[in-house]
Amino acid sequence: MGEALIRGFLRSKVSSPGRICVSVRDVERQDALERIGIGSIFGDATDGGSKEVAQFSSVILLCTKPQAMTEVLQSLAPHVTSEHLVISVAAGITLQTLESALGEGVRVVRVMPNTPALVQCGASAYALGKNVTARDADIVDLLLSSVGFCIAVEEKQLDAVTGLSGSGPAYVYLMIEAMADGGVMAGLPRETALALAAKTVAGAAQMVFGDDGGSNSSSALGMVHPGVLKDRVASPAGTTIAGLAELESSGVRGAFIRAVSRAAQRAKEIGS
Amino acid sequence: MADKRIGFIGAGQMAEALARGFINKGVCKAKHMWATDPVDERKEVFRSFGTNPVNGNIEVVTSSDVIFIAVKPQYVSVVLREVRPHLEDRHTIVSIAAGITLQSLKDAAGDGIRLVRVMPNTPCLVGETAAAMCLGGKADDSDAQLVQRLFDSVGKIYRVDEKLLSAVTGLSGSGPAYIFLMIEALADGGVRSGLPRDIANQLAAQTVLGSAKMVLQTGKHCGALKDMTCSPAGTTIAGIHELEKAGTRAAFMNAVYAATQRADELAKSG
Repeated sequence: MGEALIRGFLRSKVSSPGRICVSVRDVERQDALERIGIGSIFGDATDGGSKEVAQFSSVILLCTKPQAMTEVLQSLAPHVTSEHLVISVAAGITLQTLESALGEGVRVVRVMPNTPALVQCGASAYALGKNVTARDADIVDLLLSSVGFCIAVEEKQLDAVTGLSGSGPAYVYLMIEAMADGGVMAGLPRETALALAAKTVAGAAQMVFGDDGGSNSSSALGMVHPGVLKDRVASPAGTTIAGLAELESSGVRGAFIRAVSRAAQRAKEIGS
Repeated sequence: MADKRIGFIGAGQMAEALARGFINKGVCKAKHMWATDPVDERKEVFRSFGTNPVNGNIEVVTSSDVIFIAVKPQYVSVVLREVRPHLEDRHTIVSIAAGITLQSLKDAAGDGIRLVRVMPNTPCLVGETAAAMCLGGKADDSDAQLVQRLFDSVGKIYRVDEKLLSAVTGLSGSGPAYIFLMIEALADGGVRSGLPRDIANQLAAQTVLGSAKMVLQTGKHCGALKDMTCSPAGTTIAGIHELEKAGTRAAFMNAVYAATQRADELAKSG
């Protein structure tokens, strides 16, 4: 995730290699970062890396695995001041945990991003800690918007965000593969089936954003209700409604609702 | 390409999306486009972005090199028979009418005509079509390249044998509806878990869009991408488990297959 964000920031030019430093334990990861041109690469956070990052940066992103967070926070706490903005993307690590570990007065933000940030099409939601200023919120928005869509939420909503957009990509990959399989079953060569499936998914999602300047927006943001779009393309006794009938009789909607809910529930379990 | 003139017989939403896409991506200038439609408003729309709307199908044909037949399927034959005497070697006929075979295009347009049959899909309206084409009559590789160049400006197009167009219909033709269903269901899941509807909608649609782009741009296998997102005992694998329990993969395969079979039925009866 950290790499996805760095690559996204560089691609969208919201930052540059000279203005980014990274503390990373793994030598392979260090090499990967060198290859993208990151100049300042420090070692293990718990072994001096945290101090160097804190000295170099005004905005610190914590992208460690949740299980390593306690140690990392401990190593960072002595070096972080109220001058720093700390942004954590670690799933399940609460604002309270971050604030109590790093000290009162530290400005902390908690983000749930997702991997398509790598292709600048991420979906992120963030919750602001109690010391965060309006300007901090703007910075978070700027950084996350550079890699896709982002929105502010209440902290208690972050588990739901995890279940939906955090874990969502896996559900979509499953579906794209299944659609391609269906195409192959119907006689298409694999490569063609996969290309058509993936492009169809991308195109359909784009339509929900209403870029056709559609007049049937369901919100001020110009989005179109998916049900409306579905109705428009399902002509009487046509091919589309035949396909839809299969999905409905298999209870696909319920399956996706359960997938999101169960993942959100699991996020809550992990966090507590 | 720059000197090709493009004509539209039928100036509906699809034709408009194609025309605008071609202009935006610079594959054809508006002033090199002609269009006709029985509805005056549609001609006005085409005039509004700089093309040349005219009052008859024949005038579109005589003014153009590449002619899109963008009328409803039941009118394709009538239109082609009308313009048949004016078709010349320079003309490439591109039909986007669902279910109208190359044979029926040939029956109406005559022998010795360059025919291309295209199956686009609705995201053409937002410049993101997933389409397929097949060649007939005197159409050759240069026609394929031309149509490819045009459709690259509004998405992606792949060349297939005509016998596979039903499968294309079942997959990319009807596919958008399956995705609309999924996006709504994902958003419902978000609402079930406590998100306000508008936030759930946006996160759901963006997640689907971003994930598709990951597949398209990284070139990695869907299974590998899925594996990468599923950390041990994490949230994602819990969600995947629910989908697998419900036979979601088979449901999507069935949807594509059923739509393909329906396309075959319609082709036989049409």
